[in-house]
Amino acid sequence: MALDLDAVVAPFREVGGALSVAIEDEAGMPVASTSADAAPATATVRGIAAGALAGGVVRLWGNGVDGALGGAIAESIAASLAAVPPSEPAADPRVAAHARLIESELAHGRTLQRSFVSLIPPEVPGYDVAAHYEAAREVGGDFFDLFRLRRRGHPLSVVIADVTGKGIAAALLMAFSRPLLHAAIDHTAGPAEALERTNRILVEERRSSLFITALAARLDLRTGRFRVANAGHEPPLLVRADGSPIGCLLGSGPLIGAFGRLDVPEVETDLAPGDLILLYTDGVTDARSPAGERFDEWRLIETVQGVRDGTAQEVVAAVSETVCAFQEPAEPADDITIVAIRRLPARS
Amino acid sequence: MSLETTIDRVEGDETIAIIALDGELDASNFESVIETARGLYDEGVRRLVIDLEKLRFMASSGLVTLHSIVRIMHGEEPLDPEGGWATLHSLEGDKQSEVRLAAPQPAIERVLTRTGLDRMFIVHAYRDAAIAAI
Repeated sequence: MALDLDAVVAPFREVGGALSVAIEDEAGMPVASTSADAAPATATVRGIAAGALAGGVVRLWGNGVDGALGGAIAESIAASLAAVPPSEPAADPRVAAHARLIESELAHGRTLQRSFVSLIPPEVPGYDVAAHYEAAREVGGDFFDLFRLRRRGHPLSVVIADVTGKGIAAALLMAFSRPLLHAAIDHTAGPAEALERTNRILVEERRSSLFITALAARLDLRTGRFRVANAGHEPPLLVRADGSPIGCLLGSGPLIGAFGRLDVPEVETDLAPGDLILLYTDGVTDARSPAGERFDEWRLIETVQGVRDGTAQEVVAAVSETVCAFQEPAEPADDITIVAIRRLPARS
Repeated sequence: MSLETTIDRVEGDETIAIIALDGELDASNFESVIETARGLYDEGVRRLVIDLEKLRFMASSGLVTLHSIVRIMHGEEPLDPEGGWATLHSLEGDKQSEVRLAAPQPAIERVLTRTGLDRMFIVHAYRDAAIAAI
C-alpha cells in the first residue's frame, strides 16, 4: 500500500478537540465516518484513512469545532489518496445496490435465525428457567435448546452452542447442527455420547471448516443432579444458595469438528434447592467496550453476584443489560446467549 | 480489533517460517492469517512457528486459524470437500510437529486447553526454542 498513514496523520498529531469527518464513495454510500468528541485526532484520522483505502474513496469532507481543522485533515487525506494509484476500478452504482441487497439478506437471516431458537422455555416443575438470545447484525452461530427428554422422570436437556465465525456459513451450520444435536441427545445414554455422535456425523459428512463449541447437559429434576459434557464451550457458572463464591463447572474436551474423536469428559454436580446454574456464549465474555476492553469472565461473575438471589429472569436480564451497556454505543458484534436455571427452594 | 502479523524467515532454510501475531485474533481477521499461511506454503514453507507472545486475545474463530494452518502445512486445502478431514484423522494420537506454538500468554493457553486444541500442538515456552526444535 503506497499511502503512508503516519505521514498523513503527522500534522494533526498534537490536535485534540471535537472532530467529525465522513467519507463517501461515488454512489453516495458512506464508506467511513466518525465523530469523536475530545478524542485524539490521530486515531480518528488513521481509522478514516484506513477505511478510505479499503473502500476506494472518491469524495470526502470534514468539519469540527474548528471547521478549518476538519477541512485541513480532509484535504490532507484527499491529497494522500490522490497520490495512491487506484487498485480497484471506480465505484459502481451496482455495488451500492448489491450492498443494500446483502443488508436486506442479513436482516432476513437474523429473522430466520431467531425462529430456530425458541425463547419460551419448556415447563419445568420445581425449577425457574429463563433465557436470552440476541443475534448480532452480521448473523452469528449461537443456539440453545431446552427440552424435556422422553425417558423416565423426563429430565431436562440443556444445550448451548456457538458455531465459530460469523455470517451465512455459521448460521447455516447452526441450522444444520441444532436438530442433529437434539436427535443425538434423544437417542444416546448421556450428554458426552450425544456430543460424540454429533461430532462424528459433522466430521464424516459435513466437512465444514467451521467448529462448534457445545455444551450438553441433563438435569434430573427430582434429585437436582446436573450432568454436563462440554466440547470446548465456556464453563457454566454455579451460584450456590449457601452464598459461597460463584464458581465454574470445569472439565471440557475439544470442540466439535476439529478431531475425529472427542473423548469429552462428563462432569456432574448436584443442584441444591436455591442453587442456580448460568450458561452463556462468548458473545458475553468477548463483548468489547468502546475503549477496547473485554467484558471478561470477572465482570460476568461480578454482575451475577449482584443479582444472585434474583429470579432466573432477573439474572439473565442483569447480564444482558450490563453487557449491552458495556458495549454502547456499539451494537453487539457477536450473538449473545444466556440461560439461567434455578432449582426452586422447597416450600416450607 | 487490530492484529499485526510479522513474518520472519530462518536463514539457510526456506522451508521454515515464523508468524508472529501481535494483538487480537478474532472473527474480523482470522481468515487473513490463514491466507498468510497459505501464501507461505506456496512459497515452499513446510514448517511454521506461530509466535503467540504478543497475542493478547484469541476468540473461538482463532482456533479455526490454527487448525487450518496445520492442514495447509500438511498440503491440504482447508475447504477441500474430499480430503479435508482425512488428514486430521491421521493426526490422531500424535501431535503433529510441522506447526508449533511459541510463548502463549496464560489467557491464550486457557483457550487452547478448554477447546482441546492443545492436543494438536507442541507448545514451546520461547520462540527461539520452537525455531531450534522444528
